Amino acid sequence: MNQEHISSAFDRDLEAIQALMVKMGGLVEAAILDGSKAVTTRDVELAEKVRKGDKVIDDLEERINEEAARTIALRAPVSSDLRVVLSVLKLSASLERIGDYARNLAKRTEVLAELRPVSGPDKALKRMAKEVQRMLKDTLDAYVRRDAALAEDVRQRDEEVDEMYNALFREFLTFMMEDPRNITACMHLHFIAKNVERMGDLVTNMAEQVIYVVTGEMPDDGRPKSDETAFISGET
Amino acid sequence: MNDMRLIERAVDMDDIKISARDVQVYYGDNHAIKDVNVDIQDKTVTAFIGPSGCGKSTFLRCLNRMNDTIDICRVEGDIHLDGEDINDKRVDPVQLRAKVGMVFQKPNPFPKSIYDNVAYGPKIHGMAKNKAELDEIVERALRRGAIWDEVKDRLDAPGTGLSGGQQQRLCIARAVATEPEVLLMDEPCSALDPIATAQVEELIDELRQNYSVVIVTHSMQQAARVSQKTAFFHLGNLVEYDETGKIFTNPEDERTESYITGRIG
Repeated sequence: MNQEHISSAFDRDLEAIQALMVKMGGLVEAAILDGSKAVTTRDVELAEKVRKGDKVIDDLEERINEEAARTIALRAPVSSDLRVVLSVLKLSASLERIGDYARNLAKRTEVLAELRPVSGPDKALKRMAKEVQRMLKDTLDAYVRRDAALAEDVRQRDEEVDEMYNALFREFLTFMMEDPRNITACMHLHFIAKNVERMGDLVTNMAEQVIYVVTGEMPDDGRPKSDETAFISGET
Repeated sequence: MNDMRLIERAVDMDDIKISARDVQVYYGDNHAIKDVNVDIQDKTVTAFIGPSGCGKSTFLRCLNRMNDTIDICRVEGDIHLDGEDINDKRVDPVQLRAKVGMVFQKPNPFPKSIYDNVAYGPKIHGMAKNKAELDEIVERALRRGAIWDEVKDRLDAPGTGLSGGQQQRLCIARAVATEPEVLLMDEPCSALDPIATAQVEELIDELRQNYSVVIVTHSMQQAARVSQKTAFFHLGNLVEYDETGKIFTNPEDERTESYITGRIG
């Protein structure tokens, strides 16, 4: 629906909350990249920056909640307008959670910097975070362009992130079995990998919201899932 | 989707009360209603929405042959009430209008007492054998109009002395006094304040237990609040007719979307 409302102030309200959400998305993308870079390079300063940046993301979410409530109260949006307001609320809630995971990456950086290095998984972790950031970028682009096909593509790509996580999980097990002195670092790194994997799930939910905004319906068919770690015993 | 209201709706929406097929209305050369096909369900509130001049009121007036009173107006097509053609020559329009009652935009009580306003219809249709029966009918109608408690002590006072909201509820009581099966309402709340509007809307929801209600409204929020089915009219066409929740969350037609979201269309 590209037509403008008769009430131009209504258009401005809707544009404003969407702009806030997209801005929040940009900050979260940066937090994912910075968080993963801080972890893999054990950069404590960058980690501190990510932690501080999360406050800005949280404040934006609160602002979006207020503006969306205001729009609902004053404009009584229906149909595609209602979907915009509802989706902005849900998307910003997902972004806030992803921001929290990024902050958690930053927090663990400070601990990891004190521990003996386990450098093997760094590249894979970085690649995984980069893929999640790309998925998020595509989701936000799909939202702005109202492109359900791109959102569906993101949905399908989560499988790759799951597979990366499975591979890392096995790697951590190997490292820990090789040398118990790696256990502390590997536990932290595992949580980091798990958090990035969770970010991927949240981005997938966001992509589904984008499909809802565009089509009016949530996609209900299954998507490929590849998190197999619940079935890995390490007893081989 | 186990919402009680949804279940309620599904149960209620079985029986078709009014069925319209290929209805055309002309005002002289002006083709005001074009090929309208619609099934209106019993014990359901159906809202007609659309911009001014879209034909929603004209179509509403077809349902109890109010257009008969306009000389240049010509109605074609079939409209069946409980399977019977209402435009059949043997149908007496007065009897039809007793079955299909109507409430208008502006409250229009007769310049008579509150009691006589309600008693008028039942009297001319010979529904009461004596005064006691008539009293009963009047009380029942005023109760259904949700105005009994406010007027029971002054039934002899003139109906025109009531407030706007009370007058409208009196007119609804008058319309239900003849035990209609269908109630047509043409913008019943446009002259009322928000409180009176809420009272009339509550009343419409109660009336749904017994009647099929068709309401024309300019307030889309009102259509969303009171109706289970919504029909969108545009330029004399029935563009879309569906469950109200569907119309207001994800309509099929671009024109419906444009109209309900307040865009130029």
